[in-house]
Amino acid sequence: MKTLEETKVGVFLSDCGGQIAKILDFEAITNFVKSVSGVVLVARGAEFWRGQGLQTIVDAVKTRKINRVVVAETVPKISEVAIAKAVEGAGLNPHLVEVVDLKDHCAWPHKDTPKEATEKAKAMLLAAIEKVKLQEPIEKAEFPAVKSVLVIGGGAAGMQAAEDLADMGFQVYLVEKEPFLGGLAAKAVRFFPTDDCAICIQSPASLASITQTSRKCVYRSGLSEIPNLNILTNTKVVKVEGGPGNFKVTVERKPRYVDEKKCVACGLCTSVCPVEVPDEYNAKLSKRKAIYIYKPLVYPPAYVIDAKACKFHKCAKCVEVCPTKAVNLDQKPEHVTLTVGSIIVATGFREYNPSVIKEYHYGEYPDVVTHLELARMLDAFGPTGGVPVKPSDGKPAKRIVFVQCVGSRDRRWNPYCSSICCMISLKHAAMIKEAFPDTDVTICYIDIRTTGREHEYYYERAREMGVKFVKGRPSEILHDPATNTLIVEVEDELLRRLLELEADLVVLATAMVPSEDAKELAQILGIELDQDGFFKEYNAKLRPTETKRRGIFICGGAVFPKDVPTASLHAHSAAVKAAKFLMNGKIIKDLRVAVVNQDYCGNCQFCPVICPYGAITLEPKGDGHFAANVSELLCEGCGVCVGTCPVGAIELHHLKPSQISAQVNALLSINGTSKPLVLAFSCSECGHAAVDSSGMAMMSYPANVRVLRVPCTGVIQIQHILEAFKAGAQGVMVVGCKPDGCHYEVGSQKARQKVEMAKRLLQAYGIEPERLEMFNLVFIEGDKFAEAAKAMTERVEKLGLLQLA
Amino acid sequence: MTEGKPLDFTRAITSRLGGETIIHCYQCGTCASTCPVARTTERYNPRQLIRLALLGQRAEVLKGDAIWLCASCYNCQERCPQKVEVADVIYALRNMAIREGNIPAIYIEFATGLVSEGRLAPISKFLEKKRTEYGLPPLKPANMEALKAILAATGFDKIMFKKEGASP
Repeated sequence: MKTLEETKVGVFLSDCGGQIAKILDFEAITNFVKSVSGVVLVARGAEFWRGQGLQTIVDAVKTRKINRVVVAETVPKISEVAIAKAVEGAGLNPHLVEVVDLKDHCAWPHKDTPKEATEKAKAMLLAAIEKVKLQEPIEKAEFPAVKSVLVIGGGAAGMQAAEDLADMGFQVYLVEKEPFLGGLAAKAVRFFPTDDCAICIQSPASLASITQTSRKCVYRSGLSEIPNLNILTNTKVVKVEGGPGNFKVTVERKPRYVDEKKCVACGLCTSVCPVEVPDEYNAKLSKRKAIYIYKPLVYPPAYVIDAKACKFHKCAKCVEVCPTKAVNLDQKPEHVTLTVGSIIVATGFREYNPSVIKEYHYGEYPDVVTHLELARMLDAFGPTGGVPVKPSDGKPAKRIVFVQCVGSRDRRWNPYCSSICCMISLKHAAMIKEAFPDTDVTICYIDIRTTGREHEYYYERAREMGVKFVKGRPSEILHDPATNTLIVEVEDELLRRLLELEADLVVLATAMVPSEDAKELAQILGIELDQDGFFKEYNAKLRPTETKRRGIFICGGAVFPKDVPTASLHAHSAAVKAAKFLMNGKIIKDLRVAVVNQDYCGNCQFCPVICPYGAITLEPKGDGHFAANVSELLCEGCGVCVGTCPVGAIELHHLKPSQISAQVNALLSINGTSKPLVLAFSCSECGHAAVDSSGMAMMSYPANVRVLRVPCTGVIQIQHILEAFKAGAQGVMVVGCKPDGCHYEVGSQKARQKVEMAKRLLQAYGIEPERLEMFNLVFIEGDKFAEAAKAMTERVEKLGLLQLA
Repeated sequence: MTEGKPLDFTRAITSRLGGETIIHCYQCGTCASTCPVARTTERYNPRQLIRLALLGQRAEVLKGDAIWLCASCYNCQERCPQKVEVADVIYALRNMAIREGNIPAIYIEFATGLVSEGRLAPISKFLEKKRTEYGLPPLKPANMEALKAILAATGFDKIMFKKEGASP
């Protein structure tokens, strides 16, 4: 057990340029603070977080007059940081500083009751002093950050992120499960709204490439020659161990059976291969051999053998004929372990299989196709050489009907809007009209969504080219065997008339859904999927591309269907995040984390389960028992584990149980008003921000309401609430983030559950449960905080004095 | 345009059994396209009916004859992408209409028959004669006591025999 050195507290009182001294009696406050045990220095000034005022604190620390600092200062969210930094520079641990907001939490909201405000100020300072006296120094820890990144997925987003990071000097492993890079983009031919090649990635040329001109598509960018970029195709991630900054990833490399270093892509092998199978790349509209390559070429420029179709040594004609002896039928799968500091997921999305929507007969009627299948037909490199045909008989399709929202915006299948299908249909319709102007093209839609830059002109152009639009969702697609024609039944709502559209080809704008491996990959990586099955961003507004797991980022279509320009932006973001994370070669962390007292831990497993960051594991103690262990790297210091532990075996370095008790008692030790005391536990995120904003706007609430700040309301245990009542609170408020907006994922919801339980317990003790209430507020709801404070005060006034036995 | 407070009519429908899902409708027209009645007459279009209801056109919906033309084939409900229970919504609207005294004459005939003879349609002398010819036993009279008890317990006659235009 550490012996605490004698604590010498310096208290610095800023009267904010004299302004709050007009309300608070600073002389009385100063005298009070001087009388508190442990306080050796009290100073009053206009400002203490910069300039001469800050120098006063620094001098007091340097001369070792004080070893704990309490400052009453404005805007603690900013001043706290500045003061702590200066204190650290002066030689004192920066965590031994406590800043109290006497302006927004006292003077402004209680300006109409200055005497009461002064008494509250005394209580607030007392609480800060008692808290900081019990605070021990908190150290920093260093963790290795390997300067390499794994990018999972070699499509538009993955290639972009990989190139950025390689250019920045990180070792990049770009892993792609298909035998070739390109992803969905490679099959889509052209991209809206510019109708240029889909495989374009617009980026400054790699520093190492020969020409410095920008705007190079993947094909022309020499992607594979960029230093630090290692491309592994035919490869999947199978296991991830280790932690952020130092992941150990095991990937499985499927055998290509063709040596990339020897293959010259001459095509002799494919001409002698006897096996023909449906070509999935061309949406099975044509056949390919067991040994094949994609055209147009992206990377690598080497053939690959389909192991399911190949006859291997029973045939081996390709081996015989290959001029460079590149074919090796004995290649085996290989496991490779990569050490990376960060991982970026860019696994994209795919088309939903609409055969479940029976009324559209996809899979049954060959002339009902999806966009990808149409795209392959419209591709000059594709199976029909750029002509849209009826798959049933190969004849050119002269009447084409598009059906929008197939399996999207549909509560039976995928309730969300897939975002890009309207633009895709407009693109395909215009492409067809351009090349074959006498084709009849109709788009049946519920809404046309063209929200991006230049997208509306795309819609205009389609109408100008004679594409017809029917506002109505078809109920059924029928087939007339006599004429081999499809009939689309749809109500034209604007005409209020049922139409039976005859079509040679019906194109379903089917939904865009996550990659089929998303679920498995999410499990391997330990990250979450959202309700639609896409990888879940931690917070799209404040922390895009981040996930719950530090060091693992997500971008592109894997997060939600999007067009290539947006995927590009997203990929650049993820690359910046990964670079920021790793650029110093190490991760330095303030140990404001939880720690387990192994002697008390009863291995109940509540905390490993509840930790939103997976930071707690069970470690063997050596005597056959297990105890919880907190990873200092992963812990975010929220305290939800503390709130969950039934035996108090886990605590936060920055908020010990003794510190909570000390603050509770201090805040309730001085009333000074005629009203009953109310204690409000408020989280440091939204909750405290709501209190701040109510004060900043000078919204008034009574001074009997005292605020105790905690990292997250999830740290609160029922005993804290009971302690508050015992210490003199007549009412208790818990103020936290909205249930779906808790900055630590689950804390606010857990707090709500505890408050409900506590109410029942209070009732059993004969205490009115209405004395306890939880409020979920955000920063802009300062008015609601003031209302809540007033309402609670009125409520407990009506209930009368609490009688504890 | 809307009668009463906005959403009054919508709330009245959603609080009725079967009417809860009407608010999910996004006017895609799948129901109208698949409806066998809508394709044969201009007088009925389920999509339009729901639109009128959601726009608060209470009188037009409850006093009109459209709600009575649904054949209950349930094609619409099966195919609706928003899982709106179209046919059940129409039943809810019918129940609301009847309680306000908007009852098509034929239903009053059915109801009268039910209450007096226990049958929706009267048995004609012709029918009785034919039954005898075919060697079928004569039709037994309905168990009016049991039926009357059920009809009284459900408030059937109070609902069915309201004067038209009376408030519910």
